[in-house]
Amino acid sequence: MNFNSHIFGKTTFNTTENEKLIRHLKKETQKPVIGYLCCFAPPEIIAAAGAIPYRISGHPGSDTSKADAYVEPYGCTYVRSILARAAEGQLDFLDGLVISHSCDMVQRLYGIWTYYHPLNFSYLFNVPHQLTPWAKDFFKRELGFFREKLEQFTGQQVTTGALNETIGLYNKNRSLVRQIYELRKAAPPPVEGSEAFEILMAGGVLPADQYRTFLESALKNFQQRKPDPHQGPRIMIWGSIMDSPILFEVIEKAGGKVVCDDTCIGFRTWEKDVPQTADPYDGLTEHYFVNFQCPRTDRGPSVKRFNYLLERARAYRVDGVVGYIISFCDPHKFDYPDLRDYLKKEGLPLLLIDDNYSFEPLEALKTRLEAFMEMRK
Amino acid sequence: MTQSEMSRAKRHLETTKKMKEMLPRFFMRMMERKFSNEPVAWCMVGIPPELLKAFDLLFEWPENFGTMCASRQVAPYFIEVAENDGYSPELCSYVTNTMGYCRLFKEKGEAPEESPLPGGMGTPAMLLGSGFVCEPRWKWFQSIATRFFDIPVYSTDPLAPPWDVDPHDPRIEEHYLTLLREDLAGQIEFMEKQTGKKLDLDNLREIMERSHQALTYWRDTLALRRAIPSPMGSTDYFHAIIPQMYLVGDEDAVVFYREMYEEVRDRVERKMGVVEDEKYRLIWFGLPPWFNMGIFNYLESLGAVVAYESTYNVGDYFEVDLSDPLEAIVRRTWQRALKMHEYGSETMPELCNPAVFGGFSGSSLLEELVDQYSLNGALMHLTRSCRAVSFGEVHTKNRLAKINVPSLIFESDMADPRLWSDAQIKTRLHAFLETMDKAKQGGQINEL
Repeated sequence: MNFNSHIFGKTTFNTTENEKLIRHLKKETQKPVIGYLCCFAPPEIIAAAGAIPYRISGHPGSDTSKADAYVEPYGCTYVRSILARAAEGQLDFLDGLVISHSCDMVQRLYGIWTYYHPLNFSYLFNVPHQLTPWAKDFFKRELGFFREKLEQFTGQQVTTGALNETIGLYNKNRSLVRQIYELRKAAPPPVEGSEAFEILMAGGVLPADQYRTFLESALKNFQQRKPDPHQGPRIMIWGSIMDSPILFEVIEKAGGKVVCDDTCIGFRTWEKDVPQTADPYDGLTEHYFVNFQCPRTDRGPSVKRFNYLLERARAYRVDGVVGYIISFCDPHKFDYPDLRDYLKKEGLPLLLIDDNYSFEPLEALKTRLEAFMEMRK
Repeated sequence: MTQSEMSRAKRHLETTKKMKEMLPRFFMRMMERKFSNEPVAWCMVGIPPELLKAFDLLFEWPENFGTMCASRQVAPYFIEVAENDGYSPELCSYVTNTMGYCRLFKEKGEAPEESPLPGGMGTPAMLLGSGFVCEPRWKWFQSIATRFFDIPVYSTDPLAPPWDVDPHDPRIEEHYLTLLREDLAGQIEFMEKQTGKKLDLDNLREIMERSHQALTYWRDTLALRRAIPSPMGSTDYFHAIIPQMYLVGDEDAVVFYREMYEEVRDRVERKMGVVEDEKYRLIWFGLPPWFNMGIFNYLESLGAVVAYESTYNVGDYFEVDLSDPLEAIVRRTWQRALKMHEYGSETMPELCNPAVFGGFSGSSLLEELVDQYSLNGALMHLTRSCRAVSFGEVHTKNRLAKINVPSLIFESDMADPRLWSDAQIKTRLHAFLETMDKAKQGGQINEL
């Protein structure tokens, strides 16, 4: 396989480029491509079954009218956007689809998508909501069913050895991403938020071994880089799924430095390793169910559930938090008042951007962010 | 607020009219116990309600409180308090109604005087939630216990297999039943700890027997609505769900549903319809606009009667062996999931466990209902703040169009009247009835 040069000749990883690349990879490897949404079904198992895991992403602000034939206007605009893209045939490179039961909208997307546009392989990965021992047992059993279905589709058995090896590769990448994040603790950081975001977007398309090479190269580059001496307010982004760099870029233009985040394509996925356990499915349960910080999972009452965020904000010396919530994103919208008050008590303001997955009107967004940056100087 | 003509519903059945005397008596009994400082559990539909009775707990249903606040037109006040606190207007209006109530309760140290019940919902000592129906329910009780009342929470997690997984595969069945059994055991352990009482299984069995007896009468009553003219409409239907919430497992509830059954059967025998000149027979999808239940009477004035509602429909999943009452609760939940698979859950997504919604494996239930209830149109209430119930209506409309049954999707909300536009909705209803006339004459269904 010779696509290293192809990758390193590129400078951009975004939805458009990722889709070009995945088509290329599919042709070159002759492997099936399995698209996934949300972070509960481990891509490690997909890869160990001989398929290419691909993180499906969208185009903010794109036309969603094709979705109107199947779903109501009152619904997550991200989900509507993905469904419209599927209906238009833009995702025709997918051989399979895995959607996790994370929130109402995304699991319903599964039903409607697979009804109107069936794929050769599809799986709804069911996920309990609370971290009880029996919920963990359920999750682990669900991993087993998922593996079986994948094996039936690809015809390749997922051996424990192969799975452990894949987990090892992914963990190495997690460690490299964390090293890049670690650099961002410096003031000023040598890595812009939009650059770090793009690196994570690459993780949604590149096979683990290729991604490792890419990350090592990026890390080296950043380590040698002389940081931009400009000191701006240090910002953390928290909230709904974000698969475009627009918000990062607007913050940067407004004079801010995004130094860390808590989003699902962002640090939530990379924060910890999959524990290496005797039974790899125990480690996957720990990582993808217990440790993955999506607010849809019930971690009990009290603001203690936000402690990890405060710790992160302190570690990265954050001056302010920008909350980004997509319309109708219930899990984040519910957490907003509690999180806002919790951070306020700790002296950290939270600016809420309530967006319909379009970042429009952009001028208004810029004005609000400029005012926030001014306040945090 | 949009100017509209909100109106209370006129009921047709003597039995449901009698509720007006029965429920205040019940609420007063609850009130007396509340004032004696007995702990109150706030609960969600989806928990096994018989357990409340078995533990002799006082309980309140914040969702039902939302419907009461809506019908008394006080919900907008509570909702605005919650919005000022940072809760999005997009969130479930039952939730924002409760959050506003809680905020005012905390500020005043007592139930806000605007509450529809004296003493409101009281002060909760515990929260018994359920992930049944929708995802926001997980966040709702978490937020109450974080923000307003520092009390313990237990939520049940009745997951069910998605539509393309075979629930009859013994391994799949065991996968889900194991979760349901352990989840129920966890709930009972929690309730025993909080109440200091041990669950008496014999008592629970007797409560379930009475509860299921009431449900049997309720289900059989609904089947009587197949008659032409339909003997019962939505105003009676939506109010008649309340005794099973508050009097679950009581002899009073059995008597109520038996009397209702007998009254409706009598109306069928006498060919006594809700509407004198019945022209249109409808199926209703979604939650009703609780602040304007008079809309059903308005439809009736045009000769249109709702003969079937997908929401709160009881089905017959409760027919289970009660000898082991705990296993019966588990099997009851599981049977509901099986029914969803059997029929395809597109006709009643609001009754599905979250993971079951995608049950588009067939539309046989829709076709059966259209046939059995002689339906010639569908009204779909698209509730802006409850996507769990309304998401899927476009799909259902598509399915109904295939069998030449026209549908109207109209937008509003279940508890927030600010989203109601009276003139616009009535204009659309009129246009829809004309479409139904055309469809009855064999014309093509136009998009509305």
